[in-house]
Amino acid sequence: MKETQAYIERVKRVNRDSQRLELAVDRSLSSLLAGQALLVRRIEKDYESEHWDPYLRELWFPVEVQTSNIVVVEQPAKAQFVPGQLLSIIGPVGRPFRFRRKLRNILLIAYQTTPAALLMMLPSLLTKQVSITMILMGTARQYDTNHLPEELEIVRADDNMTWPDMVMTLGWADQVFAIVGQGSELHYFGEIMKLIRQRRNDVPANYIFGVMQRPLPCGVGACHACILKLRGEQKLQCVDGPAFDLTTLRLN
Amino acid sequence: MAIEITRPGKYSLVLSTPVLPAAGAVGFGDSYKALVDYDKLGAIVTNPVTVEARSPASGTRMIALDAGILLHTGLPNPGLVKLIRQQRKVWAKMPVPVILHLAATSVGQLRRGCAILDEVEEIAAVELGLADDMEVADAVRLVKSARMEKPLLARLPFYECYQLAEPIADAGADALVMTAAPRGTARDPNTGRLVSGRIYGPLMKPMILRMVGRLRRQIDEDVPIIGSGGVHSPQDARDYIDAGAVAVQVDTATWVQPKMLERIARDLGGWIATRHKNAFLDEWNPDMGHTEAIERRVSSDIAGDAN
Repeated sequence: MKETQAYIERVKRVNRDSQRLELAVDRSLSSLLAGQALLVRRIEKDYESEHWDPYLRELWFPVEVQTSNIVVVEQPAKAQFVPGQLLSIIGPVGRPFRFRRKLRNILLIAYQTTPAALLMMLPSLLTKQVSITMILMGTARQYDTNHLPEELEIVRADDNMTWPDMVMTLGWADQVFAIVGQGSELHYFGEIMKLIRQRRNDVPANYIFGVMQRPLPCGVGACHACILKLRGEQKLQCVDGPAFDLTTLRLN
Repeated sequence: MAIEITRPGKYSLVLSTPVLPAAGAVGFGDSYKALVDYDKLGAIVTNPVTVEARSPASGTRMIALDAGILLHTGLPNPGLVKLIRQQRKVWAKMPVPVILHLAATSVGQLRRGCAILDEVEEIAAVELGLADDMEVADAVRLVKSARMEKPLLARLPFYECYQLAEPIADAGADALVMTAAPRGTARDPNTGRLVSGRIYGPLMKPMILRMVGRLRRQIDEDVPIIGSGGVHSPQDARDYIDAGAVAVQVDTATWVQPKMLERIARDLGGWIATRHKNAFLDEWNPDMGHTEAIERRVSSDIAGDAN
């Protein structure tokens, strides 16, 4: 992990709701893996003329790492970014997603949030010919998916959080990664687990992972604001996350 | 440079630089080793530790405020004995002294904590976090009950600072840390609920700076004051020193800009050593170029001539 500077090289609108930022970053960040994030702060050239609003760094999950030290992130279209904007970056934060060795089919679930934090895994999994289905539930159903790879199967759940062939999809998946809206993560993950337990006899360990995207004050395990209670232990989102086995996470 | 941050005496604590992270800023050990050069700091202050283990707070633990943050972690820690077992080797390798922040609310807890910590040679001093809303008599009894050979720094609560400073100094505290972050309440935008916690941010500095200035004139000169709250730049740290503090603690600025902790330490160390000699600054301020230093020198000379 390092504190480095980067700048926004290009801003590209990808659909009605999203834009992608190409960041020219330090070489050390070109080895980022899916699941790892950046703590980002917009800065001025003159370090002393710092503004303190917003105060905390933002948690950005890259969606792609290109050659020549370019990291791509997806942001809401309404947020204002300009090419040339200087950024201070702390990263990489967290651990990469752990995939099963013989992964064939993977299910991604986005509930009440955009699936941006899950997108970085797509290119490498598709290269390995893993079949990927993405379920969009709640407000995530409004997410425009035209810019995503064609090989990705996208399903929009209905108002009851169900979709056609739900039992088959859950049985078909070797692994599930779920991401939910901020503020009530544990409640949302609880709803997803309830759905799955109703349709699957047993939910084995390392089958379904919840991806936490709470804001991180420090990102290095110092402040303990992101501590999570798991069965028999406590873990930190910034150090041990962002993905946690939902069969061990204590959900309320 | 040697800065004595506790009362003079056999067990006083002397630091090479008067800048240290505040309790809660850098964890229990070396969490920031990849981002901060600890060697540049005066000491490390650990996250608050209790004699018994504590679980994290439930619900919202952090709310972003305008130019600040509200934090309510519940002081999660594994308990004093277990923490010492976990961190002892890390502390032994630290290039600077380690000050353990002990959150104790009763005489029994404090005595037990002091007895344990007196045997831990990796800990150079103890910072006692006095609870909010503590009666003066209770706080005095607590400080008087701390018997150990290591220096005891007392961190005062924000709202009771004026009432407690003098009695706590008289009770034998080796230094006063002013202050703990004040408590506040904010609405969580995600859940709509009101959440209470401690408030951090640059706005804390003017309030605590005033406390340090006023109380420096009131309490015994032998009792050093360490300014803590809202330090976000080298100038903030200098202001605390000007107000009468011997050292400063940096809290959440470390999270926002980890390198700032080092920069403040480099700047303040150099400034204290040379401020009476009107020396150039660029030896220790990494951001100040030669031209800027000359400009500052010229402008200060002009101002001096005008006076």
